[in-house]
Amino acid sequence: MKILATIRKEFLLLVRDAGGITLIFLMPLALVIVMALIQNNTIDEFLETKLEVLLVDEDRDALGAELERAFRASPNIRLIKQVDHEALTAETARRLVQRGKYKTVVIIPKDAGAMLQRKNKNAVVRLLAHYGLSDKKPVADALPAPEIQILFDPAIKANFKQTLTSAVEKIVAHVQSDGLMDEVQTHMGKMTKKPKIKMDLSDMIIVRQENAVENNKRGMPPNAVQHNVPAWSMFAMFFILFPLAGNLIKEREEGSMLRLRLIAGSSLPVISGKFIFYFFVCLLQLLLMIGVGLYIMPLLGMSKLVIGTNYPGLLLVGFSVAMAATGYGLLIAVYFKTPQQALSFGSISVVILAAIGGVWVPVFLMPEMMQSISPYSPLNWGLEAFNNLFLRNAETAAVLPDVARLLCFSGTTLGAGILIHKSRTVL
Amino acid sequence: MTDSSLIQVSGLRKIYRGAEMPAVDNLSFVVHEGDIFGLLGPNGAGKSTTIMALCGLLKINAGSIQIFGLSINQKGAEIRKLIGVAPQEIALFPMLTAYENLAYFGRMYGLDRATIRQRVDHLLEDFGLKEKAKVRVAHFSGGMKRRLNLIAALLHRPRLLILDEPTSGVDVQSRKMILDYLLSLQAEGVTIIYSSHLLDEAENLCSWFSILDEGRLIAEGKLKDMPAMNSGSRNLEQLFLELTGKRTRD
Repeated sequence: MKILATIRKEFLLLVRDAGGITLIFLMPLALVIVMALIQNNTIDEFLETKLEVLLVDEDRDALGAELERAFRASPNIRLIKQVDHEALTAETARRLVQRGKYKTVVIIPKDAGAMLQRKNKNAVVRLLAHYGLSDKKPVADALPAPEIQILFDPAIKANFKQTLTSAVEKIVAHVQSDGLMDEVQTHMGKMTKKPKIKMDLSDMIIVRQENAVENNKRGMPPNAVQHNVPAWSMFAMFFILFPLAGNLIKEREEGSMLRLRLIAGSSLPVISGKFIFYFFVCLLQLLLMIGVGLYIMPLLGMSKLVIGTNYPGLLLVGFSVAMAATGYGLLIAVYFKTPQQALSFGSISVVILAAIGGVWVPVFLMPEMMQSISPYSPLNWGLEAFNNLFLRNAETAAVLPDVARLLCFSGTTLGAGILIHKSRTVL
Repeated sequence: MTDSSLIQVSGLRKIYRGAEMPAVDNLSFVVHEGDIFGLLGPNGAGKSTTIMALCGLLKINAGSIQIFGLSINQKGAEIRKLIGVAPQEIALFPMLTAYENLAYFGRMYGLDRATIRQRVDHLLEDFGLKEKAKVRVAHFSGGMKRRLNLIAALLHRPRLLILDEPTSGVDVQSRKMILDYLLSLQAEGVTIIYSSHLLDEAENLCSWFSILDEGRLIAEGKLKDMPAMNSGSRNLEQLFLELTGKRTRD
């Protein structure tokens, strides 16, 4: 009954505090939306490597055609052959990249196809002559190799350069192997008087790319919404220490806490009531922010939050994060004696824990040293658990280690908070 | 402990961490059942320390406190159930109404809903606050807050009431209402410890006085029996100044 009375009292105090409601509910919602919007491009850029590529094909042969086809088929490349309705030349494309208007240009020089064909022919002649299948003599001197030029804006990231260069090399290798095969068929056809056959070398080996998820469930790649909604929800939940500490210290300063201390047996119900009330506030915060991810983010042009199908797991993780956040807030509230101390330490510590935990920047983007520290932050445990559910559609068992860590953290902070509060009943 | 003594303080000493002088030193006094006991003294005399120690909220360095025959060190929680305290601060929630404040404290005292309703209605009526039951305390005047602060200490019908500056900053009407109520409580057998700077008020209200200065008891007894009164002091204020001197104690 005493706990219920305290919960009711906390509820009345909160609903009558417009500033507190704004801080607890509206600010976190604004934070989640703003951070998702800000990080939307950054994360997508890193994850999807979407690149505008200028293509100047001075050769107009198979090599250019194959590069164009491959670029158009790539989800990570947007091919541009014209700028301002004019076909690009090597010179204009080079200038556009130098001025930073575009990030990269691929130039296939004139006669590149013919040069490649000559080199293929020479290689086949040399091969057949070696095995005594042809009387023709290969050219002794090395034929010049066609040079495909890729120019990059100096400001472009190294991983973009690597991605594009690899893509071009792969296409060139494919064209080259097709050319070699064709040249072999030409010589063999002359010898055997048989026609050429069509050979597709593209499916000689298949490299399949897939997200690793459990139980054949469909996973999804991380994006700004998938990262930001759980990350900033937890950040906001840990900021529950603001109203919790502010409220408790105010009660101490105003004297109502003194009256409660004078009432025998009120210490535990007061702390428990506060803990339970703010625990439910945290859960409500999470629910609202998931709602923003599901219904508001798509209206703002971002992707919809995908929460997987493991709802009991989601409830368990939300419960654990709320427990951890409330426990931490309570410890800060009872430990510090002034609001300035509590709120300064509390806010800075949450920012640090959030940064370490991967809220600001996803852990996989952090330097190696920070990645090794990250698993010590409770916000990281929560974020990992949410990622397991949302991105990997994991079973509940997969989140249990993180849930256990969060509950241990909650138990420790809550226990310490109760002990400190009780010890201060007697000065 | 004598038959009629409710509180027996013996050799009480408290020195706060980092302080050079004890806040109270070798303090001994007895409070008899049904008395209104005036705990008087200038600023820093040790009144608040003594009150905190009586409530069991202070670890004392030496001495003993017995209330209702129980040691405060061993039975603090049991003793607190029998005492009501109106601290000097307005120990209420400003954003709750008068009724909500009292209902919450009533719950914390372990009272059931019906008892709370009956007692709160009765006390609000007695203190002229019934019409303000649904008004938030933040909108109360100083006098109304002070009355409500006292009501919150009376909800569980304590046998011992400890009041720290109960009429501080209130108007004449509120003061009269509070003092009349305290006298009616005394008539019902409630023992009251009353700490105040308002000596004329104490003189009219209290049946027994203890005057502290710099942590020590410098005089106690009924006003008319105090030797200094017999030596020419006409009222409590004159006696107080004679005993404590005119030096300010900020």
